[in-house]
Amino acid sequence: MSAPEVYSIAKTPVTCHAFNADRSQVAVSLNDNNVQIYSKQGKEWILSETLSEHDKLITSIDWAPNSNRIVTASQDRNAYVWSLSPDPLTGKLVWKPTLVLLRINRAATFVRWSPNEDKFAVASGARAIAICSFDAENNWWVARQLKKPIRSTVLSVDWHPNNVLLAAGSADMKARVFSAYIKDVDKRPSPTIWGEKLPFNTICGEYSSPAGGWVHAVGFSPSGDVLAFASHDSSISIVYPGGPMVYNIRISSLPYVTLTWTSEDALVAAGHDCQPVVFSGSEQGWALIGTLDDTTASSAKAPGARTGTVGRLNSTAFNTFRNADTRGHTGGDNASDTELLTVHQNTITSVRPYAYSGEGVMDRVSTTGVDGKLVIWDVNAVSALTGKMGGLRV
Amino acid sequence: MSFRKIDIDAYDEDVLLESELCEPDPRDPAQVLSDAKQKQAAVRSTLAKGDIPGALGIALDNTPYGPNVEEAKNLTLQTVVSILNSTKSSEINNVVKALSQDAQDTLMKYLYKGMGMPGWGDVSGSVLLGWHEKLTEIAGTGCIVRVMTDRRTV
Repeated sequence: MSAPEVYSIAKTPVTCHAFNADRSQVAVSLNDNNVQIYSKQGKEWILSETLSEHDKLITSIDWAPNSNRIVTASQDRNAYVWSLSPDPLTGKLVWKPTLVLLRINRAATFVRWSPNEDKFAVASGARAIAICSFDAENNWWVARQLKKPIRSTVLSVDWHPNNVLLAAGSADMKARVFSAYIKDVDKRPSPTIWGEKLPFNTICGEYSSPAGGWVHAVGFSPSGDVLAFASHDSSISIVYPGGPMVYNIRISSLPYVTLTWTSEDALVAAGHDCQPVVFSGSEQGWALIGTLDDTTASSAKAPGARTGTVGRLNSTAFNTFRNADTRGHTGGDNASDTELLTVHQNTITSVRPYAYSGEGVMDRVSTTGVDGKLVIWDVNAVSALTGKMGGLRV
Repeated sequence: MSFRKIDIDAYDEDVLLESELCEPDPRDPAQVLSDAKQKQAAVRSTLAKGDIPGALGIALDNTPYGPNVEEAKNLTLQTVVSILNSTKSSEINNVVKALSQDAQDTLMKYLYKGMGMPGWGDVSGSVLLGWHEKLTEIAGTGCIVRVMTDRRTV
């Protein structure tokens, strides 16, 4: 059990983040068209490099741990693969972009390297997912598109450990599992629980939450045999494809937008609720276990912080209007009223694996949020959702 | 020419239709209506016994949704509103706690539907707001979010 490490890296929202293999550098998009690479020096993150090539907001970044390449996706409908190569003039190592031919006519929304780092998937608003592989002859990345039956913007993707299957969450309220098999890249995959023959664009599963809502985040469990997705109806669904069995857990607060598995029987989800929350279970059932953000501890540090959580009706804003209505009060009486008890002061945009303690078992996760903070959490430091955040009351 | 008012979706042959976003009710519209009428009768007799959680449970189970069932929808709203109106405000907490998560979400849908139709039938804004406050305390803002995302509108 250790307290979360909190770094305020920007005054602007952090759209996405990706660490390098040894966690000494982190690439972030500060809600603009540049990738900023920060290096850790002591207890601080210092801006070491800025990668500029995109014209519009960068929506997603992924850093391949073994081949040390960065891939970026942007609203300018492009993706670039960045690799470190010596500058011809100075001989210094610099990040060089390679263009990717995505052939999409809408924004690229999300990007992830495949486990073998020989492919990556770019989700887009063009109702398609571009599966990109390297064409050595032309020295660029070419894409094949997964199109059917996607009906709307794809918001997130996640690779199966076998390097072939891909899960995608989309604004048409469905989470799907596709085959992204590329003949020249992949060996014939061995049969999985999701299917046996897997030519490109095979749909291995299509799932939705009972109350609908955009599917913001998808994730395969470490073994790849279970799929989880978070949707905008404030629920999280865990899919066992064998049954098929889907557990849907409805939560009492605002929706999650990102999730990551920490072991075969646990995952961390975070989003508009501003705190990472742990779910745990097995094929017999799933439940919300607690939060990584021990709000009781932080309330001691910040006595002025308000006692509610985000999304509560009885919030400061609500009270302000009620006071204005019933007592004729105007203006806030306490400036610190707007401070939340949670570590993140705004929506968490991305939660990612940070450190492993053993094979497939994650020890720590990192989160970034709209509040410009980067936080590293110990996934074993779970505390109960306090007071009104519990499952019974809000 | 006010080009912003052009329905550009009409020119898109691959447009995503409202009807594709949720599974239709498997029941026939006529059957939905007769189910709603039956439930109304059952709710009346349960209410006569003073069993409000029971009545609400019946009314909120298998509610009509989707197109072509307007009459059944209005009938069910009427039924739900009649239960809400005949509940003492001190009892609301216990009644809401006794409901399943599904029923809580459905109740929230009817509260918002009722608020969208002020003055219709016996709909009373203050009663609905009273329920809304209690329901939000118990089921949370997640319940409201689900009303907004769910395409199975009642």
